[in-house]
Amino acid sequence: MQTSAHALELVEVEKQFGPVRAVDNVSFSVEKGEFFALLGPSGSGKTTLLRIIAGLESAGKGSVHIGGRDVTRKPPYARGIGMVFQDFLLFPHKTVGENISFPLKMKKMPAARQKEQLDWVLELVRMKGFEDRFPNQLSGGQKQRVALARGLVARPDILLLDEPLANLDRELRKEMEVEMRRFQAEIDIPFVYVTHNQEEALTLSNRVAVMKDGRFEQVGDKLELYEAPATAFVASFLGLNNTIVGQVTAQEGGLSTIDWKGIRLPVPTPEGVGVGDSVQYYLRSEKMHIGPLEDTPEGADATRLAARLRDIIFKGQYSDYFVIVENGEEMVISDVPDIKGITIGDQVAVSWLPEDGFAFAAKGDR
Amino acid sequence: MAAINSKDIVLRAIQVLLLVALYIFLYFPILFITYVSFVDNIIWPFPPEWTLKWYARLLSMSDFHVGLKNSVYIGLCTAVLSTLFATSAVIGLLKYRTRWRGPMILLYISPLFVPGLLIGISTLMFNANVLGMSGKLASAIVANTTEAIAFSFLVILAQLVRYDWRMDEAAMVFGARPAQVFREVTLPTIWPAILGAFLVSFILAFNNLEISFYNLGAIPTLPTIAWGTLRHGIKPELFALASVINLLVFSIIAGLFFLIQTGLVRFGYRGE
Ligand SMILES: Nc1ncnc2c1ncn2[C@@H]1O[C@H](COP(=O)(O)OP(=O)(O)O)[C@@H](O)[C@H]1O
Ligand SMILES: [Mg+2]
Repeated sequence: MQTSAHALELVEVEKQFGPVRAVDNVSFSVEKGEFFALLGPSGSGKTTLLRIIAGLESAGKGSVHIGGRDVTRKPPYARGIGMVFQDFLLFPHKTVGENISFPLKMKKMPAARQKEQLDWVLELVRMKGFEDRFPNQLSGGQKQRVALARGLVARPDILLLDEPLANLDRELRKEMEVEMRRFQAEIDIPFVYVTHNQEEALTLSNRVAVMKDGRFEQVGDKLELYEAPATAFVASFLGLNNTIVGQVTAQEGGLSTIDWKGIRLPVPTPEGVGVGDSVQYYLRSEKMHIGPLEDTPEGADATRLAARLRDIIFKGQYSDYFVIVENGEEMVISDVPDIKGITIGDQVAVSWLPEDGFAFAAKGDR
Repeated sequence: MAAINSKDIVLRAIQVLLLVALYIFLYFPILFITYVSFVDNIIWPFPPEWTLKWYARLLSMSDFHVGLKNSVYIGLCTAVLSTLFATSAVIGLLKYRTRWRGPMILLYISPLFVPGLLIGISTLMFNANVLGMSGKLASAIVANTTEAIAFSFLVILAQLVRYDWRMDEAAMVFGARPAQVFREVTLPTIWPAILGAFLVSFILAFNNLEISFYNLGAIPTLPTIAWGTLRHGIKPELFALASVINLLVFSIIAGLFFLIQTGLVRFGYRGE
């Protein structure tokens, strides 16, 4: 056996549903102990991809390898995976204990070993004492833990999770996020975690793949994605909340000047973009600053715009300031709360460094 | 905290009255027949002179024994066959989506729209002329199954549209082969629907007159005996027979109810 094999490897996987290409030429690999997030909007093919890995959907093209074995043509029950479904899908006629032991029973594991594994996993998900309850006697969070336990109990080669927290309320989701990290750290099983929530993906995972229309837009370390989004879609999906579209009027050094509905702004020049081309420029609100109009800017390189403060939303550590700039467009700036001398309705100054934003050649489809 | 006014009381009284009237309408004839089957003075059975002689007479009729045996046999075979067919049909239809779903459902339930009499005559002709099996129990079973599949299909379909087939997928991911999936997950969840269909089919075939009649010729079943007896006027044995049949059907349903209520059966629970 190869010892250096990837825990999971997909090679040029494709899946067509009638006219829809749900998964389009996807290749990636996941290593032992890794927490890999598949992030994308609804309909981008995340579930289909996960189902192909699980064997619930056949890949039209390409191959799937788990622990070095080619499982492309293997049925789900021969793949040695665990899975956590969005709606939990606990077996309603089985107790918590029976639900969790199900994978072990299917493996025909001796009863004593089953008990051992069950105890271990109940301890892990902190559900000791609930063995004899039925799923309908559990809360949402408890069901979630049971679903996780069932996925982990047989110590699969890989655990697939399809939006496991989507059905939980906000409080519980935060709590489970922490738990999820803990489970993953305690055991060495790699997680492939599907979500449409960028915050969840960035909090939980080591690496993230951003999916759109069945294709991977970008795969990489989560900080890398956050700090250097490769495409406009990734930038917008990762919560870069100010989108500026304009035409290049001049270029100098690494900077292009764009005309954004009458306002001229310097932006980093995207590759292959010349004068007259359209550019999308994404600015993360927390990289921007706001202050009274009469303040002098902190750096000579900073871009500075005059604006009218429309609203302030207090967020605890920071506040979101909504402003209307001179061309009538709205921008949002996250800055420290309680900035001296500005109130709603005031004229203010907004500033940022051009290279803190991300510029891309605008595609026709946006 | 308004005082109970007289209008409420009247409304309530009307409701209770309607309910009682409904139950009388439904059950009085059945209870009356049972009552009469135990009295000697059947022409005007009040006050009753209790007797068991109609039952004794019924038991001594050799036709009755054969008829009971045949009815149970037809009922059981029909129930097994139609439940098997209908369950597979529903599962196939729900699990594998096709645009022929609508027409297929219609095909399965169409025997419901055909009068039993016609099913009886046509299966007789077909079985006798084409298959060369006339006047056989098997022929009656096939004919009854035709109709029972339609009923079973509806009963099972009504339940299984709510079944989440992703449950089967989950089981499969956790290592269950198709047969294990069915035994461990599908069946334990859907068995009440299947049992319901089984009982409905059994009772339909057990009580059936017009379909069985044509296919059986001289072979007696309980309904054909009852019908035959009727032609010579109403005999008290008939009351006894009706009561026996009612008791049988009632105990099946009561038994089922008891089992479910007390949770004594948990089919598939704990797997084996
Ligand atoms: N069984 C199916 N038949 C036809 N189209 C499907 C099927 N499953 C998914 N699709 C389509 O494939 C695309 C991707 O769906 P899905 O994988 O569920 O996306 P996501 O999980 O990212 O929301 C969607 O356009 C969806 O409509
Ligand atoms: Mg999905």
